[in-house]
Amino acid sequence: MKPLVNILDGNTFLVSDRQGDVDPSPAFPTGLFSYDTRFLSTWQLTIDGGRLTALSVDDLQYYESRFFLVPGEPTHYVDTDISVIRHRTIGGSFDEDLAVLNEGNEPAELVVRVEMGADFADLFEIKNPARKMAPVTVTVRDGLLCFTYRRDNFERQTVVSSSVAGDVDEHGMTFRIQVPAHAEWRTRLHVATNILGAQGRDFRDSLRLHRPRSAAQIAEALTRWLDATPRLVSDSETLTSTYRRSLTDLAALRYTSVSTATHLVAAGLPWFMTLFGRDSMFTCLQSLPFLPRLTPPTITALALAQGSRFDDFRDEEPGKILHELRYGESAGFEEQPHSPYFGSADSTMLFVILLDEYHRWTGDDTLAKRFEMEARAALDWIDTYGDLLGTGYVWYQTRNPETGLQNQCWKDSWDSISYADGRLPGFPRATCELQGYAYDAKMRGARLARLLWDDPAYAQRLEHEAAELKDRFNRDFWVGDGRYYALALDAEGGQVDALSSNIGHLLWSGIVDQQRAADIVGHLLGPRLFSGWGIRTLATGNGRYNHLGYHVGTVWPFDNSIIAWGLWRYGFREEAAIVCQAMLDAARYFQGRLPEAFAGYDRKRTKYPVQYPTACSPQAWSAGTPLLLIRVLLGLQPHGDHLVVDPALPDSIKRIELLDIPGRWGVVDALGRRRPDTNHNERDSASRS
Amino acid sequence: MGSMPPSRRELTRERETFFRSLPSRAGRVLPCWAAGVVLIKVEEGDGGEFWRVAMRDRAVVVDRGSEPADATVVLSADLFHDLITGADQLIAALLRNEATVVGEVALLLVFRRFFPSAPGSGDPRDAVGGSRWRERMDETVARSTPAERA
Repeated sequence: MKPLVNILDGNTFLVSDRQGDVDPSPAFPTGLFSYDTRFLSTWQLTIDGGRLTALSVDDLQYYESRFFLVPGEPTHYVDTDISVIRHRTIGGSFDEDLAVLNEGNEPAELVVRVEMGADFADLFEIKNPARKMAPVTVTVRDGLLCFTYRRDNFERQTVVSSSVAGDVDEHGMTFRIQVPAHAEWRTRLHVATNILGAQGRDFRDSLRLHRPRSAAQIAEALTRWLDATPRLVSDSETLTSTYRRSLTDLAALRYTSVSTATHLVAAGLPWFMTLFGRDSMFTCLQSLPFLPRLTPPTITALALAQGSRFDDFRDEEPGKILHELRYGESAGFEEQPHSPYFGSADSTMLFVILLDEYHRWTGDDTLAKRFEMEARAALDWIDTYGDLLGTGYVWYQTRNPETGLQNQCWKDSWDSISYADGRLPGFPRATCELQGYAYDAKMRGARLARLLWDDPAYAQRLEHEAAELKDRFNRDFWVGDGRYYALALDAEGGQVDALSSNIGHLLWSGIVDQQRAADIVGHLLGPRLFSGWGIRTLATGNGRYNHLGYHVGTVWPFDNSIIAWGLWRYGFREEAAIVCQAMLDAARYFQGRLPEAFAGYDRKRTKYPVQYPTACSPQAWSAGTPLLLIRVLLGLQPHGDHLVVDPALPDSIKRIELLDIPGRWGVVDALGRRRPDTNHNERDSASRS
Repeated sequence: MGSMPPSRRELTRERETFFRSLPSRAGRVLPCWAAGVVLIKVEEGDGGEFWRVAMRDRAVVVDRGSEPADATVVLSADLFHDLITGADQLIAALLRNEATVVGEVALLLVFRRFFPSAPGSGDPRDAVGGSRWRERMDETVARSTPAERA
């Protein structure tokens, strides 16, 4: 696979090769995308008819890159006088400054051409290539090249202009230039992406949403964003650089919500640049001590779109929180169910969990009171439409077998849920972590009901139900001869007995009986699950285990961060530090940017974590991972109006200072130190108003 | 055999019934925070009719004014028929630009809660069943954890 260069600003992004070119690629997401549609599928630069070769590529910022190029192939170029710099930025629209430099002593006459094309492919058509339902029309007028796609009222348009006039034809622009000796020629190419909405205008104008921003505006917003987050000081350079990378990636993934006009975090580049319920809520949970401001818009957008009806195509039920919202053609014309799609069985519980966790940190009563109705509807869903078999557990089974998701848990690939021998269970399925989330949601819902909703009877009922669920769960899911919890229960009353990372989420939820926690921790840090680089999604020895299996063997940083949080909850601080250390070690090999997933090979066999071939990067909950790891290492936990700091650092980190942690206490500094000659961790915290 | 498409008069009556039902349903449907006015313009032929739905404190007032509102949605009579019978879905219609909105989308998303379920879709618990599930589960548990139970 050729190396690719990405620039992005929220849900607008450009993926090109190392020359900066985009070659037509019906089955791979290269090109310029916005709102799930590809607005440029061809963008190729030639000089005198020949392609160029990259000498170097500078990824200056997430929204900006620069390519240094020379004509010809490396095999036959010798001290060329001509070189080219492409400097591109993205900020809602796309701009490319093209400079042709002549270092020769003679003027150069050159033909510079940019081949351009737009196929308006919906992202789902790239996953499963299909013919467009209407043709693309191309017009040339007033020096502009316009590509338009219209299907009924659905219209997308790409408009390309150049600051220097060129010859414009239906396939691109040609510039016949003369560059004097030791001089350069420049033009700026501007690509606007238009989405038709009300009154014949772009929909973002009708809804007063933000429009294109300049690179300077994005840079300024990034500086403000970084300045408003806690400052990290540590002797571990890996930790500090990974922290900064994470904050920058989360800034890059922010986009403007259509429904609330506030910032939400897209899930991951290139496939998931949109709102996912689960991903966005986990990202908020991971980043609460650092970026509590991410949560209110996320909760608001999800509450607004909460399920209110039965709709088999969308797997929608009243009270359910969405799985995925898309803006493209396939969603609009109902070729895909993402308008929005509700096929996740965990997002509804996570909604209540996040609402409570946010309140614990910020003391913001308003949000939890405002969305009481939606939180109650979510809690009702657990015991009604979530419990498909009436067994006291949350189950899932899609009612849209054509385009719905088979597995509606975070491991949502088709083969992720299996028995130890590799067989796949029938439907519905009740995976273990869903029950943990249900338990946690009830406990947290009870807290909100008592503190904020003025309903102690409801609180008592929820706590009673949670206690019953915990008892039931510890009886039915426990695989006695293996001493772990089954991955799932099947509809026949059997245990889906694979050993998986899902048991780590149970620690986070608190549904694990205290006396069984050590067994679970033993498995998580044991050789079958722990690779040395992290905890694998599925243990070796299972029938479906595969080092490179998406949910059946790879290591997911997000998964590890939640497990580390669970280890902290049950007091296994040393083990939590081991997981945190493994993740930070891995992050070093990814320049501080943890990918969606990497291979499950044992660390003894590979000196570095092996990349998963199609992992998304940046990915929001991978970017959130280092933040949660820092929380776990420092042992940060709100307690009333105070922040508890109880550090437990791994051997390799001697000192972590986190300054200006925002919360209901104002701002607090936390310090964790590890004495070099002992295993002793020291803590310190100071609060300031 | 397909049924005849509804006549213009039937569509008009259907819309009136829908809007008249909103005040009595508002308490169950609307959250306390929803406040604002949605203006719905239903286009039919060359003309159109307006419905103004003011939402506040979990109550609704409906009138036929056309004054500017916080959110204005424009759509055809046929599409509106499909929405109030559950055959179509508002967000998909907005995405394909068959309905358009100006103003606060959030209010429209709240208003969406008044639309009924898709035809043929219902409580998913009806689709499966597990009367003997508990019995089998208990047998599984007895096999899985004999030592602990003893």
